[in-house]
Amino acid sequence: MLLTLFLLGALYVAFVAVLATSGVSGPMLLIIVGGLVALQLFTSDKLALHAMGAREVTPEEAPALHAMIERLCIQADLPKPRVAVAQTAMPNAFALGRSQKSATVCATTGIMNMLTPAELEGVMAHELSHVKNRDVVIMTIASFFASVAAMILQFGFFFGGGGSSDDDDGPGFIGILLISLVVYVVSFVLMMALSRYREFVADRGAALITGRPSALANALRKLHSGMERLPQQDLRVARELSAFFIVPPGTRQAFLGLFSTHPPVEKRIEALARLETELQRGTIAAAA
Amino acid sequence: MGFLDSLLGGKKKLKGPAPDRLFAMSTAYVTLDTGHAIRTKGVAGIVFQPLATADFESIANEMQEILTGTGEETGTTFETTDDEHGYRWIILRDDDIEDLVVGINAVSDALLTGGYGDRVLAAVFPFEDSQGKPVYFIYNYKRGYWYPFVPAGPQQRNGERELQIKAIVGDELPLEPELERWFPLWGIPI
Repeated sequence: MLLTLFLLGALYVAFVAVLATSGVSGPMLLIIVGGLVALQLFTSDKLALHAMGAREVTPEEAPALHAMIERLCIQADLPKPRVAVAQTAMPNAFALGRSQKSATVCATTGIMNMLTPAELEGVMAHELSHVKNRDVVIMTIASFFASVAAMILQFGFFFGGGGSSDDDDGPGFIGILLISLVVYVVSFVLMMALSRYREFVADRGAALITGRPSALANALRKLHSGMERLPQQDLRVARELSAFFIVPPGTRQAFLGLFSTHPPVEKRIEALARLETELQRGTIAAAA
Repeated sequence: MGFLDSLLGGKKKLKGPAPDRLFAMSTAYVTLDTGHAIRTKGVAGIVFQPLATADFESIANEMQEILTGTGEETGTTFETTDDEHGYRWIILRDDDIEDLVVGINAVSDALLTGGYGDRVLAAVFPFEDSQGKPVYFIYNYKRGYWYPFVPAGPQQRNGERELQIKAIVGDELPLEPELERWFPLWGIPI
């Protein structure tokens, strides 16, 4: 895990170094990179909520959801996040926000109808674990670097296509292009690995908060079968946000799982089942 | 939470109870009563997540035996009820608030020594002011702090009154300093 992070960091260092040597001035580089990170951190939650058609709800509008989250927050020792609801039949839930204090958790009307209160509690506890572990910030930053690399890559194709300036800085340019490509591919794979790892951690966190791993396991099973039956056109918008979802839409048996943000549901359910066994044996309590 | 914890996805365990400040109530109630006519309703509750495991059930049974035992001396009676959110309440009745504090502490202590201290959510002490309006004092075990909760109808709370009460007992009761952690508890069964 530490190695993954280290490799990720090392890649970006190399990446920025290449940008710097290619004529972009140091301060300018910092401003560009810093500005984009800030922009993403400060606007992505609102944009994502908007993209999902989600709206913040008051305790009067959604008393049961608020009461559930308040109790989970006491258990998880978290300040209460904003609570939003998206009016869509697609059953899902996600957490957004750059810090514990500015976090928003969102559930769709679909998930609230589909799951029992105990199962929904497990799902919301999973989202609160993401908030507690600052997963949104970490994934935002990780995905940001991958997207910067992608942007440079596109830029490269765009301007490189003309081929009119091969005499002044041709080789340097192709070098950047190649390195951007490698950075993008490698960082993408690492980012997905990071995301999958953090999903397991959030599942475990949720089970510890609620004390009911099997409720979450059952919720995942229901959600998984529900997601596959729904039509695809609704999910196109949602695909951009899939790293934030409890169960990402449209997960096929994708590329040996290498490019998937979430671990396979069967694996997550297995991990929760092991936790339930520990709980029934009392070994979790004994260690506490 | 350290930097490494945050990188690696947080601590592996739920936070346990904070240092115990529950007993502050056994003196603070005097100020509430004599100075402000806010009086105990002779009842208190503790709310926790019951686990569906044999070990937890045996701890819960032991706890009830302890309560029955001490109840014979102090006259404290108790009952158990599960609420709509799946949490369990143990409700103690005794006109002497100091006995209530001792009783609530016996419950949390039994859970703690059984290894389930992290399952305890809160203790709730209902009071009543001179107009008969309810004022709840909630003790958050994770934080080790008290805070007032004054419901004013369904899903509405009287924030002004809560802040007044903060001013009244803030010196004697260790109150939660972060207002955003004054979590309401709707549907308190006492």
